[in-house]
Amino acid sequence: MDILRAAAIAALFGIGVYQLLRRNVIRVVIGLNIISNAVNLFLLSTGAYDGVAEAYASAIGQRSDALPQALILTAIVISMGGFAFTLSMLYVISSRYRTADNDEVKGLTH
Amino acid sequence: MPSLGAEFALALDGLSLLFGLIITGIGTLITIYAGYYFAPHEPTERGEAEGRFFLYLLLFMTAMLGTVLAADVITLFVFWEMTSITSFLLIAYKTSHAASREGAFKALFITGAGGIALLAGLLLASALSDSTDLSKIVHNGDALRASEWYHVMLLLIAFGAFTKSAQFPFHFWLPAAMSAPTPASAFLHSATMVKAGVYLLARLYPAFGSTATWFWMLSLIGMSTMLIGAVIGLRQTDLKALLAYSTISQLGALTMLTGQNTPIAFKALVIGILAHALYKGALFMIAGGVDHATGTRDLRQLGKLWRAMPLTFAVAAVAGLSMAGLPPLLGFLAKESLLTSLLEPTDATITQLVQPAASVLAGALMLTQAAIVSIDTFVTPPGAGFPACFNRPSTSKNHSQHKHHVHDLPLGMLLSPIILGALSLVITTLQPEVVATLLAQAASTTYGNKVKVSLELFHEINLPLVLSGVAIGVGAGLFAWRSQARAVLHHLMLSMDTLYNAILDALDVAAQRVTQLQNGRVRRYLFVMLVAMLVLVVAFGELPRLLSNHILTESLATALQGQITPTEVLRASAMTLAVAASLVSVIIRRDLLAILAFASSGLAVAVLIALEPSPDVALVQAIVDILSMVILVLALSRIPQHQRRQAEALNKHPSISNRYSALLAMGVSLVVFLLSWYALASRPRISVVTPFYERNAKPLTGSADIVGAIVVDFRGFDTLIEICVFGTAGVGVMTLLRLAMKKAEASRLTDSGESENNDLEERSRLTLSNKLSGIDGLRTSPFVRMVARAAMPLSLMLAFVQMVYGHDQPGDGFTAGVTVSLAVGLWYVVFGYERTKQQLAAFKPPLLIGIGVLIVLLSSTSPILFGQPFFSPYNFGEALHLPLPHGFDLTTSLLFELAICLVVLGSAIFILDTLGRPSHMEE
Repeated sequence: MDILRAAAIAALFGIGVYQLLRRNVIRVVIGLNIISNAVNLFLLSTGAYDGVAEAYASAIGQRSDALPQALILTAIVISMGGFAFTLSMLYVISSRYRTADNDEVKGLTH
Repeated sequence: MPSLGAEFALALDGLSLLFGLIITGIGTLITIYAGYYFAPHEPTERGEAEGRFFLYLLLFMTAMLGTVLAADVITLFVFWEMTSITSFLLIAYKTSHAASREGAFKALFITGAGGIALLAGLLLASALSDSTDLSKIVHNGDALRASEWYHVMLLLIAFGAFTKSAQFPFHFWLPAAMSAPTPASAFLHSATMVKAGVYLLARLYPAFGSTATWFWMLSLIGMSTMLIGAVIGLRQTDLKALLAYSTISQLGALTMLTGQNTPIAFKALVIGILAHALYKGALFMIAGGVDHATGTRDLRQLGKLWRAMPLTFAVAAVAGLSMAGLPPLLGFLAKESLLTSLLEPTDATITQLVQPAASVLAGALMLTQAAIVSIDTFVTPPGAGFPACFNRPSTSKNHSQHKHHVHDLPLGMLLSPIILGALSLVITTLQPEVVATLLAQAASTTYGNKVKVSLELFHEINLPLVLSGVAIGVGAGLFAWRSQARAVLHHLMLSMDTLYNAILDALDVAAQRVTQLQNGRVRRYLFVMLVAMLVLVVAFGELPRLLSNHILTESLATALQGQITPTEVLRASAMTLAVAASLVSVIIRRDLLAILAFASSGLAVAVLIALEPSPDVALVQAIVDILSMVILVLALSRIPQHQRRQAEALNKHPSISNRYSALLAMGVSLVVFLLSWYALASRPRISVVTPFYERNAKPLTGSADIVGAIVVDFRGFDTLIEICVFGTAGVGVMTLLRLAMKKAEASRLTDSGESENNDLEERSRLTLSNKLSGIDGLRTSPFVRMVARAAMPLSLMLAFVQMVYGHDQPGDGFTAGVTVSLAVGLWYVVFGYERTKQQLAAFKPPLLIGIGVLIVLLSSTSPILFGQPFFSPYNFGEALHLPLPHGFDLTTSLLFELAICLVVLGSAIFILDTLGRPSHMEE
């Protein structure tokens, strides 16, 4: 069902890009996270095995591929940190430019 | 750098020795001179600033020595660039003067461009010679000359050398570089650095020289530089500028000599290098001294100084005689050999006539300028020899000159020019064998065969001597009619500087046009970038080929024929949910609801991950998603209400730009679809790495959970860095927000109008109700409070279980940390900032992160005590025979998990704390 997954990933990515291009900065932050979800989903789908059991040594049956899982575990954590940082930037924008409108954020203010 | 085949290699031969002696000898004298130059005159710049000058000067000396001693082209290039940079620093030494900065920029711009070309040329040459070793390249001359890249290399290297040695048409940086302090000008811009180009050409002569291209290029460029420098020099009014142009002229002569192919040319080259270094160094130092004594370097104001400065005049006269090429000084010998070699050129066509004629003219001009320097400055009255069109500076400047008490220079300051001037005299009169040998050695290494150098002044009456006489006569005549000559030049001059400025102006205009595209709207930049990405993918991604690929058709066929299992149905519905929820987050107008929609999309992704099946990741995804939602809601509450309303109003009206971005998003989506479909359909179905992890997870790390084993043990170092990043993000959020709060507070105090009223209103509302209620001053129901209270111990327990048993079942330290943070976040929402702070006083973020990092360090180093390498898994429980319950292993991974948990908790609380702080509490 690769085509279905690709479609879902693409849809999420497209929606994220659209959100990223909006004027409301809160939606921009949301868009960023949707994109990272799409990318994580893609990485997860690259696993070599179609597992029926979780990737435990004790599990019986075909285990799912542990490698991409470990990788996106790291990716999720890092994107969480990045997300928090983006949020604080959101606040900085709001307090410095006195707006939540992306188009009003122009030039550098001190 | 063995991997690149480059090494730091130095070598000394005749040519390097000559240059090395000039650099160190003149360098020493300049340093002595500079000590006096800076001492009494500029009291404000004493101390630190002066130290800066000597630092640069000595750095330059090192770089220059490195350049001439380098035996490896990479070493050579590095030192070469170092000389450019130190030269830049020295020219811009008076940082407060605009002229200094401009001159420095000009010099760096020109020589830097040359440096890049040189690097390319040298790399080509070393690639063709299979070595960066300079001697190997030099010995590879035949192959290099035969190579089809020969002309490219030659042009690149010559460009580097010409820019460095201020050859026409790149000469104009050198006069501008005269804004450097005079000791630097004397050292860098006459005696040493500008000769680096000539040195390089001489050094590479065996590799590239003795071809027609080499001869014509160097002869023509050198000759034009020689003439142009000599002619422009005549009309200068600044003593140092005049000297700079005569330097350019001399460098042109040297370049012209390098182009020749005869032993006599190399004799002339080495004598010219030495003679010029000696007299020009002396004259520059005298120019600095005159400036020092009178406060001006303007030739129109200088004159009759010989009474006040007799000793200085004597030295200037000797050096000037050498510059004029008069016997019995070294300059005469230099000019003599120059003429001799030009009369026997490599290519005996018209050059036999043109080059000597040009040299005679240049020699005559040089004599005139030498006379200007020594006679106009010291003997004739000020302003003599200038036509009316050379406007004299205003009288106010004259006054300032008169205020100066003119005195002879201190002996220390004169010492260095005296030594240099005396050397010019001694070498020719005493003709020491050692100098002759040194010069012969230098010329021989360059030429590749033996070159005889004698320092005899007179051989017989021959053609060169006659020509010398002609030059002297013409020069004397020009000096007598210098006023008229200057007037002619003044009207004729076409300055390269104008062209340079025009180019820079054009660049500026172009830059302005380009920057007009950047209107400061980040959204538009992103739009342009994405469009560019799309265009690139469509243009070069060969999408049609991708589409017709059999892999995709096969994948489609299996998708259509394949059986639909219940898992697939579940997956499909989870995907639909994820996409639909994100769509809702686009469409819905209220931001809070959009955040909820986005969070549910994230949860749907978690379900999808769980169906993989991958419980660990699904758990992390779920709780991270929830935590993201909590902090996003907290952040939303930090944005003032009127801004939020404004932003929400933007969602209501779909503008035209929205339609464009929708179109773009669809395009991006399509490309991502194709790429990811292709990638997924064509991926290998057998993993190379995973079986290793599956086999070794339990025996090596004692963890049944393979994902956990990878994260904590196999890729433990990765995870260590990861939690550092997370901790840094927490600290970053905190600092950013604290700073922003201070700024906001400051601007709020100065701000007036509606926004302030709004804020005030909000603030008073908050202060009143904060004691009793949760976030944003809203009351919370007792039931929710009970849940929140119960959540804290529950989460702690859950975290403990996840950490301890994480190696055999879902959950790990990160999950544990986020779980507790979630409970803390819930408290912030339910009980409000102040009460949460009071009741959870034990959760101090810096303390938590500190303990966490400490535990990581201890647990990762502790295996060393037991003879295991750093960061290796170690089971303490087993090693110490502790009676532990089944499934509970006291291992390094457990400690690591605990550390991760603490760091994550600390950072998350940092984030929650700063985002959850109500605005009225800002300092």
